[in-house]
Amino acid sequence: MRNIYLIFRRDFLGYVKAWGFWLSLAAVPIFLIIGIGFGMFAASSSPVRYYAVIEPSGAVASAIEMEFRRSEERLAKDAAAMASGMDVDMTEAQAAAAAPRKFIEVEPPARTIEDLRPYLTGEKLVAGPDGDKPLFAAFLLTEEGGALQYWSTDVNVSALRYAAETAMRDLSRRDALMAAGLSSDFLRRVDETAMPVTAFRLRTEAQPETGGSEVTMADKAPAIVAGALAYFLWLMVFSIIQYLLMGTIEERSNKIFDTLLTSVKLPELLAGKLLAVFAVTSTMMLSWGLFAGAGSAIAASQSPALMEMIQPFLAAVTNPGLIIPAMVSFILGYVLYGAIFMALGSLCDTIQEAQTLLSPMMILLMLPMFAIFIAFQDPGSPVIDYASWVPLFTPFLLILRIPQDPPLWEILAQMGIMALTTALIVWGATKVYRAGAVHGAGIGDLMGMVKSAMGMKPKAAT
Amino acid sequence: MGDAPLVMSGATKRFGGFTAVNNLSFDVPEGQIIGFLGPNGAGKSTSLRMALGVMAPDEGSVSLFGAAPDIRNLRRVGFLPEERGLYKKMTARDTITYFARLKGMSATDAKARAHELLETTGLGAFKASRISKLSKGMAQKVQILSTLAHRPDFLILDEPFSGLDPMNQQTLEDLIRAEHARGATILFSTHVMEHAERLCDRIVMLARGRKVFDGSLDAAYATLGRGARMAVEHGFDLAAALAPKGFEAHRAADKGPGDSWRVGLPKGLGAQDVLRAALETGAPIVGFQPEEARLRDVFVSLVGEAEAAALDVPTAAEVVEAA
Repeated sequence: MRNIYLIFRRDFLGYVKAWGFWLSLAAVPIFLIIGIGFGMFAASSSPVRYYAVIEPSGAVASAIEMEFRRSEERLAKDAAAMASGMDVDMTEAQAAAAAPRKFIEVEPPARTIEDLRPYLTGEKLVAGPDGDKPLFAAFLLTEEGGALQYWSTDVNVSALRYAAETAMRDLSRRDALMAAGLSSDFLRRVDETAMPVTAFRLRTEAQPETGGSEVTMADKAPAIVAGALAYFLWLMVFSIIQYLLMGTIEERSNKIFDTLLTSVKLPELLAGKLLAVFAVTSTMMLSWGLFAGAGSAIAASQSPALMEMIQPFLAAVTNPGLIIPAMVSFILGYVLYGAIFMALGSLCDTIQEAQTLLSPMMILLMLPMFAIFIAFQDPGSPVIDYASWVPLFTPFLLILRIPQDPPLWEILAQMGIMALTTALIVWGATKVYRAGAVHGAGIGDLMGMVKSAMGMKPKAAT
Repeated sequence: MGDAPLVMSGATKRFGGFTAVNNLSFDVPEGQIIGFLGPNGAGKSTSLRMALGVMAPDEGSVSLFGAAPDIRNLRRVGFLPEERGLYKKMTARDTITYFARLKGMSATDAKARAHELLETTGLGAFKASRISKLSKGMAQKVQILSTLAHRPDFLILDEPFSGLDPMNQQTLEDLIRAEHARGATILFSTHVMEHAERLCDRIVMLARGRKVFDGSLDAAYATLGRGARMAVEHGFDLAAALAPKGFEAHRAADKGPGDSWRVGLPKGLGAQDVLRAALETGAPIVGFQPEEARLRDVFVSLVGEAEAAALDVPTAAEVVEAA
C-alpha cells in the first residue's frame, strides 16, 4: 500500500503542479461565467433599430406592432412568474420595462425603395424616439397587395422579419375568421376548452407513492440522475485517455521503468498510476460539481420553488438502489478503460505513435455514447438491454437501466460479468504493460502478444 | 556471513531464436567489487536485469541474498540502469527523496539523505532545480545518487561511466570506492576496461552471452604471456621476419604510426631481446614498447580480435590525450 501511495502521490502532484491542470480546472467555470455574461451583454447591448412600413392602410404596421406587444407580454409574464418563484417583488409592467423594445417603427422618410436607399445605407438618418439613426429595415406592401417586401442592408438580423411573418399569419387568420363571422379570439377560446391529458404512473408495491399517482419530477429524477452519472463516467473515461497515454509515454521515453520495477511491483505501479489519474479527473469534476452545487444552493436558498425542484434529484442521488450499482459500474468502468489505455500507452515511444491509437479509442468510446443517447430517448429499448450485456458497454448502460427496475438477477449477473471482464483486462493489460515497459515492445508487437496469449507461436520480445 | 548478494546458476535468456545469455553462472560474494565486462551486445544488461528479477531467466536460477529476487530483498539493492532516465519535471532533491522512499526510507530520512548527498557531491546549489534544467552529467549524477541514497548492501551499476566526462568518471570512481569502504558489495558492468582494472577485485567476462572468464585481475593477466608492442612501417611482415628467430608476432589493433604488432616473449627472454632480433632482421621499426598486461589483451586472447573490436578501448595515445 505504501508503494501504491508513493506512486500515486508523485503522479498526482506531477499532474496537479502542471499549468494545464489549473487551466482546465478554471476553464469550465470561467467559460460558463463568460458565456452567461456575454449572452446578457449581447442582449442588453443590442442597439435600438428603426423600421418603416410603406402601405396605404396601416394594417400591416399595426399587425407587426401587435405581434411585438404580444411577444413582450409573454416575456414579461414569464419574468414575473420566475421572479415570484424566487420571492422577488416584480410586476409584469416592471418586467416589461426592464426589457425595452429593440425595434421601433418610424414614419417612412420616402415611399419607394429607390428613395429609401440612402436611409437604409446610412447616408441619411431618420428621426425617432432614440435619436437620429439610419433606417434598419423597410417593409413595402406591393401595389397589388399580394406580398410584403422586406428590405434591409443586414439580412443576418432576422428577428424583425420573423415578427412580421408571424404578424402576417395572424392578420390573415383574423381576416379569415372575420369573413366567417367569427371573432378574432375564437381560436384561443377553442384551445382553452381542449381536454387536458394528465400523465399517471402505475406503481408497483415496491415503488414509493408520494404525491399520488400523477407523474412528477420525483418519477423522472432517477432516470435523469442515472443519465447524468453514465455521462459523467463517459466524460471521465474520455478525459483520462490523454493523461494515461502521455504519462506512460513520458515514462517509457524517460527509461525509468527498470528503476521503478526494482522498487515496486508492477501491479503496485499500475494501481498507483490509475489512482493518480482518477484523483486528478475526480478533483476536476468535483471542483466543477462544487461550483455548480454552490450556484444551485445559492439559487435554491432564494427560492423555495427551486428547492422543491432540486429535492427529487437529491433523493435519487442518495437512493442506494441506484447509487450502489452506479458506484460499482463507475469504479469497474474506470479501471477497465484505464487499464486498456495505460497498456496501449506503454507500447508507444512518441506522441505521434499515440495519436495513431487515439482514433480507434475514440471510436470505441463513441459506441457507449450512442448507447447513452438511445437510453435517454428510450430507456426500455431492447437495444439497451442487449447492449448492456457487452462488458465494454455495461458500466455505462447498467447505470442507465437501474431506474427501469430490471430484475435483480440481471443486475447481479451484469455486475459479475463486468468484474470478471475487468479482472481479465487488468491481467492482460499488465502483460502488455510489462512487454512495453520492460521489454520495449511496440504497437507492432501487439498482435504477436495476442497470439502468444492465445497459445499460438510466441512473439519475440526485443 | 550472510547469503551471497548474488548467485546466478545456469541462467539462460532467449528472445525468440536469439540467445542473449547462455548458461551463465557466477556469484558475487559479500564485500567485493566485481567488474562485469564484455562488448556491447554481450548480454551484460540482460544478465543484470535477470539478477534483479526485472526479467526471469528461461532456464537456470537467480538468487539475491539467498532468495529469488523480490521487492523485499531488492530493498537491499541499489540499481543504476544502462538506459538513464528520471522524471524531468522533478527537482534533484525530490528525485533522490522519491527513490529512497520507494526503497523503504522514511520521508524525513530520505530528505536528509538527499540533502547530504547533493551537498557532498557539489550539487547542493542545484537541489531545487528540475532535472530538465540540469546538464546531462549532473542529471546522471543525480540518478547515481538516487541509486545510493538508501545505503544499499549491494550496488548493481550497469555501464555507470557511460556518458560521463573524465572529471565525473573520477568522481564516480571515488563514490564507488566510498560505497565499498562503507561495506557495500558492488557489481558493475562496463565495456571500458580501464575502470575495471582500477576498481575491481574480480572480473567476469562475457562474450556473445557466454562467460569467457571469471577470476581475479592477476589471474586474468596470467592467461596472457608476456610480450612487447612494436610498430613497423606499413607493409612489413614482422611475423615472417621474426619467426626464424623464434618469436611469434601477431597484428594488433593499436592506432598509431605504421603497422602495430604484438610479439610474444618466450620464457627467459626479455623485451630487449625482441628489439635486438627485429633490428637484426632490418625491420623498419617506428615504435617499440615493452608490454604491460592489459585487460583488453586478455579479452582478445580469450575471444579473438573480431569480438574484441567491439570493445571501447582507447589506445595508449588516446589515453594520454584524454588525460
